[in-house]
Amino acid sequence: MDFSIRAANLDDCKDIARMITVSRHVCACSRAHLEQDGFSKNPFFHGIIAEVPEQHRTKEGHTKIGYALYFYTYSSWKGRAVYMEDLYVMPEFRGKGIGKALMSKVAQLGLAAGCNQLDFTVLEWNKSSLDFYLSQGCFDVTADLGYHCMRCEGEALQHLAQP
Amino acid sequence: MEYKLRKAEPKDVSDILRLVKELAKYEAMEHQVALTEKELLEDGFGDTPLYHCILAEVQGEQSGEDPKVIGFAMYYFTYDPWSGKQLHLEDFFVMEEYRGHGIGSEILKQLSDLAMKTRCHGMQFIVAEDNEPSISFYKRRGAEDLSTAEGWRLFRFTENSLYKMAASTEE
Repeated sequence: MDFSIRAANLDDCKDIARMITVSRHVCACSRAHLEQDGFSKNPFFHGIIAEVPEQHRTKEGHTKIGYALYFYTYSSWKGRAVYMEDLYVMPEFRGKGIGKALMSKVAQLGLAAGCNQLDFTVLEWNKSSLDFYLSQGCFDVTADLGYHCMRCEGEALQHLAQP
Repeated sequence: MEYKLRKAEPKDVSDILRLVKELAKYEAMEHQVALTEKELLEDGFGDTPLYHCILAEVQGEQSGEDPKVIGFAMYYFTYDPWSGKQLHLEDFFVMEEYRGHGIGSEILKQLSDLAMKTRCHGMQFIVAEDNEPSISFYKRRGAEDLSTAEGWRLFRFTENSLYKMAASTEE
């Protein structure tokens, strides 16, 4: 199937918000926040969109059928790194290399920016994704090195900040 | 114990690298540190810093001696499209002989304060599962282990596999 991969722009936020809402099974993701946080002078993230030609559009008329969100991070061991926050392809378009093409684009952009590491997280029950990523040459840092992701938010964060 | 917390400056890169290596050694990963002072300088103190550091400093032992950097935190900002900005704590370390004086707690308090002021939804970090003292330290302060609680696993492409991924073509 013919498809194209390109950098996301402000007009894509509506479709990115749509796909985030579906993929994360959450209440509607805010398009306005995406526009403000991703497309202002100092963006907090960058996006890539996968698009198909009109003749392959979905029943609802969508041609933007996949996306990846990423941002630059820093490894105290290796220096510049890139983190892929989201990678998603609509179910009816999977199995055609689109996910791999999106990830490949993030890797290319990361390397061009001087990064030598690409990180992301995967849920342990998501066997098909785990197998796919392992087949592409990455390794499971949590399983191999025992590294756990921890977070402090909401009341716990406020409590920590108190004098 | 008297100490001072301050933002890192370009002159601090050798101390930052020293403490990065000390923390890596504590994790039995010293051989993994490839970062150089030159990279720390370019990446932390250019037009667009890729990381930030808070340093903990004590007075020199002899009069006339320079202050000594004895602890640090390296952090940067990340993004979750559903909840917003997060502060990611990359490294956090106080030299062994200076622990137990509240320096680590004070660094974490300053970071939390900064996270709130910069409208971050949370503060996140990676901890090795066998690092019990650190896990207890964080859990006592309300942190949640997302790997255990929600099943999140960190995956990584290192340099060689990253090149292969970048070079792969559409099927």
